[in-house]
Amino acid sequence: MIEIEHLTKRYGDTTVVDDVSFQVEEGTLAVVVGTSGAGKSTLLRMINRLVEPTSGRVLIDGEDTRTIPEDTLRHRIGYVIQGYGLFPHRNVADNIATVPRLLGWNAREIAKRVEELLDLFQLDPAEFAHKFPHELSGGQQQRVGVARALAARPALLLMDEPFGALDAVIRAKAQDDLLAIQRRLGTTIVLVTHDMNEAFHLGDRIAVMNQARLLQYATPAELLMHPADAFVERLVGTAERPFRLLSLTKVQAALEPGSAEGEPIAVSDTLHEALSRLVWTGRRALPVADAGGTIIGRISVDGILDHGRALP
Amino acid sequence: MIAILIGIALFAAPFATYRATRIASGEARFLIEALPFSMSAAVMIVALGVAAGAVLVRDPFGRLGSAVIGLAVLLPSLGLAAGYLTPANNAFARVSPSLGFWLLTLAYALLVIDALARLRLGPYGRLAALAVGASALALLLLSGIWDSLSILKEYHTRADTFWHEARQHLVLAFGSMAFACLLGVPVGIAGHRFRTLRAAVLQGLGIVQTIPSIALFGLLMAPLGALAASVPLAAALGIRGIGAAPAFIALVLYALLPIVANTIAGLSQVPASVVDAARGMGMSERQRLLGVEMPLALPVILAGIRIVLVQNLGLATVAALIGGGGLGTFVFQGIGQTAIDLVLLGAIPTVGLSFAASIVLDALVEIARGAPA
Repeated sequence: MIEIEHLTKRYGDTTVVDDVSFQVEEGTLAVVVGTSGAGKSTLLRMINRLVEPTSGRVLIDGEDTRTIPEDTLRHRIGYVIQGYGLFPHRNVADNIATVPRLLGWNAREIAKRVEELLDLFQLDPAEFAHKFPHELSGGQQQRVGVARALAARPALLLMDEPFGALDAVIRAKAQDDLLAIQRRLGTTIVLVTHDMNEAFHLGDRIAVMNQARLLQYATPAELLMHPADAFVERLVGTAERPFRLLSLTKVQAALEPGSAEGEPIAVSDTLHEALSRLVWTGRRALPVADAGGTIIGRISVDGILDHGRALP
Repeated sequence: MIAILIGIALFAAPFATYRATRIASGEARFLIEALPFSMSAAVMIVALGVAAGAVLVRDPFGRLGSAVIGLAVLLPSLGLAAGYLTPANNAFARVSPSLGFWLLTLAYALLVIDALARLRLGPYGRLAALAVGASALALLLLSGIWDSLSILKEYHTRADTFWHEARQHLVLAFGSMAFACLLGVPVGIAGHRFRTLRAAVLQGLGIVQTIPSIALFGLLMAPLGALAASVPLAAALGIRGIGAAPAFIALVLYALLPIVANTIAGLSQVPASVVDAARGMGMSERQRLLGVEMPLALPVILAGIRIVLVQNLGLATVAALIGGGGLGTFVFQGIGQTAIDLVLLGAIPTVGLSFAASIVLDALVEIARGAPA
């Protein structure tokens, strides 16, 4: 668990991060979102002490980060930045091996770990291990960047706009991959972005920052239903609100008995996807299939709307 | 274009110059007079062949081959011409190459360079080409075929001094470069870290760079002379107002700016995200510098060393003026005696060294840059 307590950073008279406190539970993904210059990156960089706080402290599993030597602390925390900062003079395998080498792992362990990570990120070791960063596409570079950050099995991963340099299609895929990997490894992640859609898509909890201050730290649903102030409400987007809410809920929740015509929709899809399919096909209802493809009921426009109203 | 050059060289310009003594004025000898008929005919036919090749053959290997054959006939023929033109048992007569020879050599060399450029040789290929050229030259010199030439006569009368001064020249140029690296790279690293230091250092060295070399040698005489007079240890180390010490120091001072400036430039062009990632992964300052920043700055630093080496090989010539030795000794002696061959004995090796050094270091820069590929 990460406990951020009253973190403040001042440069001269300017306060960049003003008394920010929140906690990130083990194995969850917290997104810090806000406009540019809100202090998000500085907050993130105070967690691994790339920036020393003016006051306040960070506890990782109860341990005050100030008591751990800087380099040791950073060996234990994965760090991914926009642009990834891959070492251009080292190949993919050597890039991924950076932290294990710093920690003095033996060559066999390192080779095994590199291969494991390349497999995890769907990069064929035979093809990619010896490539240099400039020979990779943007999406591949991003995956190598994350693989490098995870190499020494850190319990905490910090990500600063990790998808910022990707185009929309690859970004959506990279986000899904990150979620899958996070579930699989149980890594705690703190991710900084300015993209509200990304925040809602990824975050178990979202911290909204503006002008150095933390305005609200809550689950996506709470953020939509009870925004702390006008700024959060505007950032969440009033027009987008119902759709965001629907994308937080699965079809399962509005499943009703009965049958319907048309292409079945998966029970694991979101209500947002179901509604958009209904609108697009001009139908009032669609059949719902389980993971095996068996029809288990139907979903209707009225059901979705009822369900929308029934949300807390 | 190259064919025209060859035509002029063959028919309109003298091939060699004959002088009765080393400082007498020269008499022109055309190709036909400079060699026995059969040989001059051979040189001419080959030259015409190369000219035709330059016009007709497009394939770079063909052009390279024809130019190399041309050189292989031309260069030894010069030595034969020298032997042929020198009257028997005359130790005073001098034969040196003249316009025609130079033009032919230039034409062939252009053809070689053009062909090599078209071949787009990689760095290793260029190094190999340089090695082949240098060995061919060494073979020509060692075979004794050129021994009748004026420059080599000058060389033979002072072979010991030549090697002594050549060694001195290399020590001055390479030693000052090495010293400047030892000093300049750390200063560059410090300059990269501390912004205020950077401006001061670069400006200071920039001013040094504007002082003409002879003036700088002169400026160093007074303080070093005083140092030698007041500190016995300094004198014992060979530090005096004139001689090799001020020359060495001046060369180091000139070498510092390119090395410091390029170290700073090389380090600053390392992408910020790379440095940030390295810090974020917990690399210590030293690990970052040695493992990431220096390797990425290396091509730019090597480019600085290339500038320094070529510059120092040339500037070391001037060191002779203040008793620093080096190949410049022959240049200034030659000027004093109006013996142009002696001047060339100093100048040609200097030019050759600079040329070779620049090719070698260019190749190294490319290898360092290409390392990630």
